[in-house]
Amino acid sequence: MTADDVDDVGTYPDYIVINKPVNQRPLRGDVVRYVGAPIAAVAATDRYAAEDAVEALAATLEIDELSPVMTVEQATSDEAPLLYPEWGDNKVVDLVGDRPEVRAALDAAPHRFTETYVVQRQTPLPMETRGVVAEYRDGRLSVWVSHQSPHIARTTYAMLLGLREADVRVVCPRVGGGFGGKTHVYSEEIVVAHLAMKLGRPVRWIEDRAEHLVASVHARDQRHVVDVGYDDEGHIHAMRCHVICDVGSGEVFMAGTCPSLVSGGVMTGSYDFPNLEVSTTCVVTNKTPAGAYRGFGAPEGVFVMERVIERVARLVGKDPNDVRAPMILQQSQMPYTMPGGGRIDSGSHQQTFERVIELGTEALQRVQARFEDDPKVRVGVGYTNYVEPCVPTYFATTGHWAGYDAATIRIEPDGGATVAVGVAEIGQGMVVTTRMLAADALGMNLDDVAVVMGDTDRAPYGLGAWGSRGAVVMAGSVVKAAEVVLDKARVIAAHKLEAAAADVVLEDGAFTVRGSPGGTAVTWAEVATAGVIRTIELPKGLEGGLDAAATYEPYALEHFPDESGRIHAAATWSNAAHAAVVAVDLRSGHISIEEYFVVHDCGTIIHPNVVEGQIVGGVAQGIAGAMYENLPYDPETGQPQFASFMEYLVPTMSEIPPVQTEHFESPAPEMPLGIKGVGEAGTIGPPAAITNAVCFALADYHLDITETPVTPMTIRAAIRGSKDRT
Amino acid sequence: MTSDTTAENRRVPIRLRVNGSTESAAVPPRLLLSDFLREGLGLTGTHVGCEHGVCGACTVLIDGTAARSCLTLAVQADEADITTIEGLAEPDGTLSTVQQAFADHFSLQCGFCTAGFLMSIAGELEQGMTEPEIRELLSGNLCRCTGYQSIVEAAVELAGTREA
Amino acid sequence: MKPAVFDYVRPSSVQDAVSALASDPDAKVIAGGQSLVPLMNFRLASPTLLVDISRLDELDFIEVRDDKLCIGAGVRQREAERSVVAARSCALVAAALRWVGHPQIRNRGTVCGSLAHGDPSSELPAVAVATDAEFIVRNRTGERVIAARDFYLAPFWTALEEGDLLTEVRLPVDTPGIQSSVREYARRSGDFAIAGVAIRGTSGDGTPRASVGAFGVASAPVRMTATERLIESGDYSQSALDDAIATDVPSPTSDGQADGTYRLELLGELVILALADCGGRR
Ligand SMILES: Cc1cc2nc3c(=O)[nH]c(=O)nc-3n(C[C@H](O)[C@H](O)[C@H](O)COP(=O)(O)OP(=O)(O)OC[C@H]3O[C@@H](n4cnc5c(N)ncnc54)[C@H](O)[C@@H]3O)c2cc1C
Ligand code: FES
Ligand code: FES
Repeated sequence: MTADDVDDVGTYPDYIVINKPVNQRPLRGDVVRYVGAPIAAVAATDRYAAEDAVEALAATLEIDELSPVMTVEQATSDEAPLLYPEWGDNKVVDLVGDRPEVRAALDAAPHRFTETYVVQRQTPLPMETRGVVAEYRDGRLSVWVSHQSPHIARTTYAMLLGLREADVRVVCPRVGGGFGGKTHVYSEEIVVAHLAMKLGRPVRWIEDRAEHLVASVHARDQRHVVDVGYDDEGHIHAMRCHVICDVGSGEVFMAGTCPSLVSGGVMTGSYDFPNLEVSTTCVVTNKTPAGAYRGFGAPEGVFVMERVIERVARLVGKDPNDVRAPMILQQSQMPYTMPGGGRIDSGSHQQTFERVIELGTEALQRVQARFEDDPKVRVGVGYTNYVEPCVPTYFATTGHWAGYDAATIRIEPDGGATVAVGVAEIGQGMVVTTRMLAADALGMNLDDVAVVMGDTDRAPYGLGAWGSRGAVVMAGSVVKAAEVVLDKARVIAAHKLEAAAADVVLEDGAFTVRGSPGGTAVTWAEVATAGVIRTIELPKGLEGGLDAAATYEPYALEHFPDESGRIHAAATWSNAAHAAVVAVDLRSGHISIEEYFVVHDCGTIIHPNVVEGQIVGGVAQGIAGAMYENLPYDPETGQPQFASFMEYLVPTMSEIPPVQTEHFESPAPEMPLGIKGVGEAGTIGPPAAITNAVCFALADYHLDITETPVTPMTIRAAIRGSKDRT
Repeated sequence: MTSDTTAENRRVPIRLRVNGSTESAAVPPRLLLSDFLREGLGLTGTHVGCEHGVCGACTVLIDGTAARSCLTLAVQADEADITTIEGLAEPDGTLSTVQQAFADHFSLQCGFCTAGFLMSIAGELEQGMTEPEIRELLSGNLCRCTGYQSIVEAAVELAGTREA
Repeated sequence: MKPAVFDYVRPSSVQDAVSALASDPDAKVIAGGQSLVPLMNFRLASPTLLVDISRLDELDFIEVRDDKLCIGAGVRQREAERSVVAARSCALVAAALRWVGHPQIRNRGTVCGSLAHGDPSSELPAVAVATDAEFIVRNRTGERVIAARDFYLAPFWTALEEGDLLTEVRLPVDTPGIQSSVREYARRSGDFAIAGVAIRGTSGDGTPRASVGAFGVASAPVRMTATERLIESGDYSQSALDDAIATDVPSPTSDGQADGTYRLELLGELVILALADCGGRR
């Protein structure tokens, strides 16, 4: 099946108004823009035979090679070949910030510097690659897919394949990790479904790792050009920042342009920093499309901000934490609106910062003592503060779908509950979290609650797993639905207890009359039996059934920017401070992370182990970005220079250090139960903290790292360079 | 010289023990053991994450030692004794000590890597191994979710070297 | 990532194995499969016939003969790593093997498979070169012995020819007072080395002597003769060592992982560390 065979399939919509349209087709025909773009599909009885056919087919392809555009410089040069000639340039997004007061502040600042910071390409890399199984039977399409947003996938399949939405079922069973990469609705899913419909038999495609590395989204790949004004006290007066993101060919749904907006929007995070002007450009190149990845632009922005702080500290001869301290947000400043419009609702920015300095300072001494006798090892500590945007609008990213989610609760005749939610489980603990929260809300035992998610036939329409939103929107909708169910249950119990409903309380799984301990009790099972099957026991006028549906969206969430481009796009904000203590071996350039601390605040904690797992796992991915993973391309041929895990260096257990966490709990004032998010937090800090620590350790060599990943080779080169200079 | 057509249709009879039961099959020479287990025997607990030996998700025991089923041809497993994740728990479903330790320490999130870690530990962990030794031992298994800490904790407990 | 079609035989003798190899110009030996199968999964190798030698009893031996540690082509890396005979007679073998991949790989991979594969970043070929090992090669017409120094020609290219089977490697045994060390640097635990060194040395009372093999730094394992001479001179400065290494490795590998300058720097540090392991001075 080639491009011609999918003529009857729709083109992906270009919903996002700030993006130029890419008109993504499920299979690419005459112009192929990156290695990994799907151009043909082969169906066979097994994967071995299919690969034989692909090999034979590849040998017959006639390809004219065009000269590729592989870098930001190439993409923006005047002679650049255009990926989409109709655009007139290679910029899919170009937003120019215009804040005269920031420029005035810059001009007035005693000192200035400009610098370019670079964050490399990475890929989310779930250990389970993507996979799709589709079957078309009796007029219904069923798709089992490894995806983060089952309903959004369903809507997209139905739209492109011309089916009624009710005739499509999407099931996402036990997804083996996503990290953002599986929020996108990929061409392969459409092609497999289309094949299943054409062939009249089930079709399966399991992505292999070689495919995954070029065909699933990449991410990051940003450079930030900054112009910073500061004074001799280390006070940063103003900053202009041009965020330039290489989004690859752009042919992915949803488009991968939004992380770069988040980078600019959250870079000043935990700091009171009003004078920021951000411009954002996304260029297209002949690389794999960029998309969502855990952190979603925040790690890049925070890396730049923290490196700027360290530079200023060095220039004025101050401890970087003394540059941070006057800027750190105070509780009295809450809610605090950032330059980009994000309104930080609450947090413990100062406490987490102070606590992490204590931990980092003690650890630095320990580690210095450890390496006292080795003159060839230098030790350093590095810090970072940041906020994590939680429960964002999806509208800004998709031009569709906003920020809500949904729950249905059905009390079963035996007194148990079936709770179905629109969020999804991708390994982040959403099933256990939902079960705990629903059991709590319904006054039931954990074992009495069955949780349903990831099946569009059984769960209410919801938006899935992304944006550190699951716990909040799940809790909001579950609590609301539970209230409805409980109100009715209390009426039934009151009838049985011959009391007023207002006097009935639910404790330890039984309904009793308030203030009569040890009195008569009615169990959930009795209430449920009456409510669902023995409805003759109901009070007159009350109808049978004990179920409810509810949706929840944080009310203050904004979906459109105002005229000045400011938008409060995330409903609540977790905060954290990290400290990394590293030992750098001058001989090999080897960086060993000796100790790592996260002092975190995600509001009310529902399940401590889930929170811990999210933070530690996130830090590991942050370390991967700081030091190991990269996706370089040959600038001449456009060929990826990574083909396997031999080149894409996912860190192992030997490279990831133990991570120590501590928590503050500043409940989110406007969120249900005070919950915030934690899904992406850990990933944001390590590039900044580790780079800062390495530069501390190598202060003698005047190292000023502006680019990740920081590798032993780059460190050796810097040491060598500094020797050559002196 | 073997002509391609005969090679394509060639099936080699194999006989092996998998989780205690004897299995016989006629397999194409190129069939990977991982695919034989998953597709041929329906033992989908063995996961496939890279097919080039790095991620460790496909680890099984071959004659008692941990090995990559993605780098082993099914024909090479002829006469071998294979244990997969399905063979770790007791027949009544009671978890093995290794599995129980993972459950106790929250050593999994999405669970994709878990079978591989469990088989590596079941095959190679020795009593008294120190934490650095354990980290080196399990470096051949990648996990993208946990940051490894909870897995290390489980393994350290299993090796009996928990610091008091 | 599935192999292309091939035929498969598991001969019951070395004689049958070499006959099978001679029957098809695109035949390949499969031993542990730990290098070959990944290549086949990527379809970077598509042999039409695999000759499985992993179960030939004839090739399953680790023993000392005529002051040589002899390891047959059936011996898995993990067996050699744990072998008491090998530890006593040639400590470099175990010292090198602990760096090779992961236990799960070494449980299947063979010593001779690694030697025959000829990856310039592999540890064992450097051990062979450092110890003046001999390779015993059989084909349908007979047997020949190839010296390690003549064996490695270019990356993944050895003196083995079509139809050849490496049946055995023979490594001269450690003499009294010998100390051995393998040191390497890789980004991740278990990865192929960016640079590495295998040293067998004596310090004792007399003249220091060392046999030095490097891996990961050039298109083939390197016998570092200039470095050896410098060590024997007993008096070497950092700059003299740097010069000797540059003489031994005139065109260091430069790739996405590391450039040549960095590789030589690493190699210099690793030589010093390994010499210290062998009781030499720092
Ligand atoms: C994740 C991973 C990490 C690894 N890390 C390392 C490492 O750090 N260092 C390292 O050295 N290796 C490493 N390896 C490779 C491993 O050591 C292989 O086992 C070894 O290189 C090949 O041995 P084998 O027995 O598996 O050979 P096979 O894969 O069976 O064969 C390899 C090649 O040698 C040929 N061959 C094998 N035996 C013979 C013979 N007796 N006569 C003639 N030709 C023969 C084959 O035809 C084939 O071309 C790694 C492998 C993996 C998958
Ligand atoms: S699938 Fe076998 S090691 Fe990754
Ligand atoms: S738990 Fe998801 S990869 Fe390990």
